[in-house]
Amino acid sequence: MSTAYAEPQTIAPVPPEPEAPPRNYLNNGYGILSWLLTVDHKRIGILYLVSLTAFFTVGGIAAGLVRLNLLSPDGAILTEDQYNRMFTAHGVVMLFLFLIPSIPAVMGNFFIPMMIGAKDLAFPKLNLASWYVFMIGAGFMVWAVLAGGIDTGWTLYPPYSSRFSHTNVTPGAFGAFITGFSSIMTGLNIMATIHKMRAPGMTWGRMPLFCWALYATSFIQLLGTPVVAITLVLLMVERVAGVGVFDPAMGGDPLLFQHLFWFYSHPAVYIMIVPGMGVISEIITCFSRKNIFGYKAVAWSSVGIAVVGFLVWSHHMFVAGISYYSALLFSFLTMLVAVPSAIKVFNWTATLYRGSITFQAPMLFTLAFLVLFTVGGVTGLFLATLGTDIHLHDTYFVVAHFHFVMVGGMVLAYMAAIHFWWPKMTGRMYSDFWSRASATVIFVGFFLTFVPQFVLGYHGMPRRYPNYPAEFQVYNILSTAGASILGLGYLMPGIYLTLSLFFGEKAPANPWSATGLEWASPSPPHVFNFEFVPVVKCGPYEYSLNVDQLGRTLPEPPGPMAPNTLKETNGVG
Amino acid sequence: MTELPGLADRASVVADRFEPLFWYIVACTSIGTLIVCVGLVAFCTMYRRKRGDTISTPRILGSHKLELFWTVIPLIIFLTFFVWGMWVYDGAVHPPADAPEIKVIGKQWMWKIQYPSGQRVIVGGNTDVMTDEERNLVGAFVLPIDKPVKVTFISEDVIHDFGIPAFRQKIDVIPGRYVSTWYHPNKIGEYHLFCDQYCGNLHSRMVGKVKVVSQDDFDAFLREKADGSLAWEGQQIFRKLQCNSCHTPNAQSGAKVHPRAPSLEGLWGRDVPLKGGGTAEVTEQYIRESIVNPRAKVVEGWEPIMPGNYESQVSEDDLTKVIAYIRSLKSGKQIPNNEKFPPPDGAPRDMKTPAGSTGGSKP
Repeated sequence: MSTAYAEPQTIAPVPPEPEAPPRNYLNNGYGILSWLLTVDHKRIGILYLVSLTAFFTVGGIAAGLVRLNLLSPDGAILTEDQYNRMFTAHGVVMLFLFLIPSIPAVMGNFFIPMMIGAKDLAFPKLNLASWYVFMIGAGFMVWAVLAGGIDTGWTLYPPYSSRFSHTNVTPGAFGAFITGFSSIMTGLNIMATIHKMRAPGMTWGRMPLFCWALYATSFIQLLGTPVVAITLVLLMVERVAGVGVFDPAMGGDPLLFQHLFWFYSHPAVYIMIVPGMGVISEIITCFSRKNIFGYKAVAWSSVGIAVVGFLVWSHHMFVAGISYYSALLFSFLTMLVAVPSAIKVFNWTATLYRGSITFQAPMLFTLAFLVLFTVGGVTGLFLATLGTDIHLHDTYFVVAHFHFVMVGGMVLAYMAAIHFWWPKMTGRMYSDFWSRASATVIFVGFFLTFVPQFVLGYHGMPRRYPNYPAEFQVYNILSTAGASILGLGYLMPGIYLTLSLFFGEKAPANPWSATGLEWASPSPPHVFNFEFVPVVKCGPYEYSLNVDQLGRTLPEPPGPMAPNTLKETNGVG
Repeated sequence: MTELPGLADRASVVADRFEPLFWYIVACTSIGTLIVCVGLVAFCTMYRRKRGDTISTPRILGSHKLELFWTVIPLIIFLTFFVWGMWVYDGAVHPPADAPEIKVIGKQWMWKIQYPSGQRVIVGGNTDVMTDEERNLVGAFVLPIDKPVKVTFISEDVIHDFGIPAFRQKIDVIPGRYVSTWYHPNKIGEYHLFCDQYCGNLHSRMVGKVKVVSQDDFDAFLREKADGSLAWEGQQIFRKLQCNSCHTPNAQSGAKVHPRAPSLEGLWGRDVPLKGGGTAEVTEQYIRESIVNPRAKVVEGWEPIMPGNYESQVSEDDLTKVIAYIRSLKSGKQIPNNEKFPPPDGAPRDMKTPAGSTGGSKP
């Protein structure tokens, strides 16, 4: 690692708290148009945050109804038809309208320019357009879901979706098609920004790992999304115009759809999780006051995941009628893609070694992420292994596995990110006690929800069943009980974060004493992020040297500590 | 409330191979997860900042040796999963050549099962909307113990998936294409049969039971309702559709009148030359395609005069029967057209001649 760092004796004293500027991005105009026509990446990030919170709520309600229905073997509250629409609504809304845009569109928009010391993203108007395109697509989807629903599952497998379903498949698919463009715009914007707009001294090797993660994500968004867009167009052409593409009765091939769909949708899983990994690297270093263990390994494993992730799509199709040898090949490649994720987990754990660890809410969410993501990752190996996948495929084992990765991994990383950057985004601190309580409740509720589903899956309970044989009931009740706790856990941040906006303490510029450039700007930040051109002097995680990336001494971190000891902590270990 | 056993029911050779692999992965991944969790808990306890601590942390940037260690070790372990999994998979997907073949046709939302003897069963489905004939066939998927059977699947409409948890096997059932797997049940009992690929409204009602029974019970089951062998039924359809006006079913009669289409005798498994070059192996898939889409592959030396409307006239059920008939036409065997066709290989020898059957005179 060639990271240059300032020698301890040259460190300036702790810079004074920057004065709150008269104009920050929040009070720079109050009208509704000042938000709807803004090209400020921070405001667009907030627009995304508000919309995504709404969609997460819709998807969460659908999930709640699904779990409630499964309380009874005969289906407690919904008919088959209603249930099918409900789990589809849950999947479509959560995947296309929450998970895929979540961290890139909210945190990426807001913090990529700030972390690399830029004024804005490379294409601010394109950025605003991406939000409008997203909302138009989301409008189609939400309309499709509310006006009667879709009953195909989010995977939209033809010929069911193209020739047999009598529900709103076309507007739903069209909505997904449109939101894809938003994803491409955001990816393009972040990639161009990282390439061209880094502040002086911000070399690739000094870039925070969050930027590396989003760079890898943008790569997937740019290369993968067009494929699913074409696939959805073909599906709509078959459905609307009756041109045979996927339906064998019209000379099509149903497996062609699955290949094209998973060619995007497997990498899309990495669009969802890799940004979360970036967040974890930021937080775990800050709250253990350590350099990241193996910067290059963590950075390049993100890129490795993005590249190898494109070569494993057929592992969703081991029992779908692909040839024997292609099953072997894809199983083997999937084993390879599991390695970089394992590397990351070990590196994060090693980062804690000899740290000075405190447990504020962002750190608790991060630790929960590490446990849940590890379980989610290793259970993926059962599905990558051919001999076990031929039984576990399409059972609740799969459901539990991807919820561990998507919710235990991604949603917890998203929660961690919100709690970490909330003071910067809003200028307010939230309740320390309630945020820690929420992290704990979510962790416990999550385990209780999804661990029983592994047992159900091992015993063969298929997914997408509104009713089931009676012997599966006990574990379903456990899972629904867990989901209630989980729901409560999600409700808590909704309340205390909202309250913090009105009653929260004013946040200092750098409440966590973190090293990133975004903390050099006051909270909430200036309209143009920085009043000066930041000149980056050292790598991103010099906590043991107690300097930020500008080479300035860090303020006192929160948490227990001895008074007047800060100045003595600059020794190189 | 019935409860699940600790270990899931096992009733086939593949299931017996699945379990050790499954628990081996459970063991390895549990140890791995435990190492991470113990690391997290230990570090979080030992290095938590206490009141009075100085915030002094060493500047550790990483270690190539450790990095290499935790890249290579997991990779090696993952590859053991891969190799063992490949072995189990290999045993699960290649049917033995001599196993009797059962046909399963998936349809929203039932499984129609055809045994080589002609015995038919319907599993799952909504009995309220069935025809009387279908309702009479509702039952379980019966299999003999300790005997491998090959099962070939096709779907009439959307993608389904035929999954039997106690056998630890499932396979997607695709429209327009035959796929096969095989089962080797080894424990008598009744087990769940699920549709595992979402297929529409009553997906969760496309379920039923698999019954593994003794050979004697299986023979009795085959005699229960059978009204002829599958190939014999295929012959009836072959005549009803008047395929034999062009395709003479044996070479003898073909020589008397000038044939307009190739003889189908002894065709199965051969390579036939195609118009425009190349050859095609005669398989189920090839015969099916030649019936529903006859212009796709035309045999060298013949004109593409076969009508293209059979797809609308022949159901998947009937197609499998016609294919069974064509498959049974061994070369050199003289088969009088008016005699009841003998059951094909794999059907029980003592199958009774169904009463009232008069062979080819049935409409």
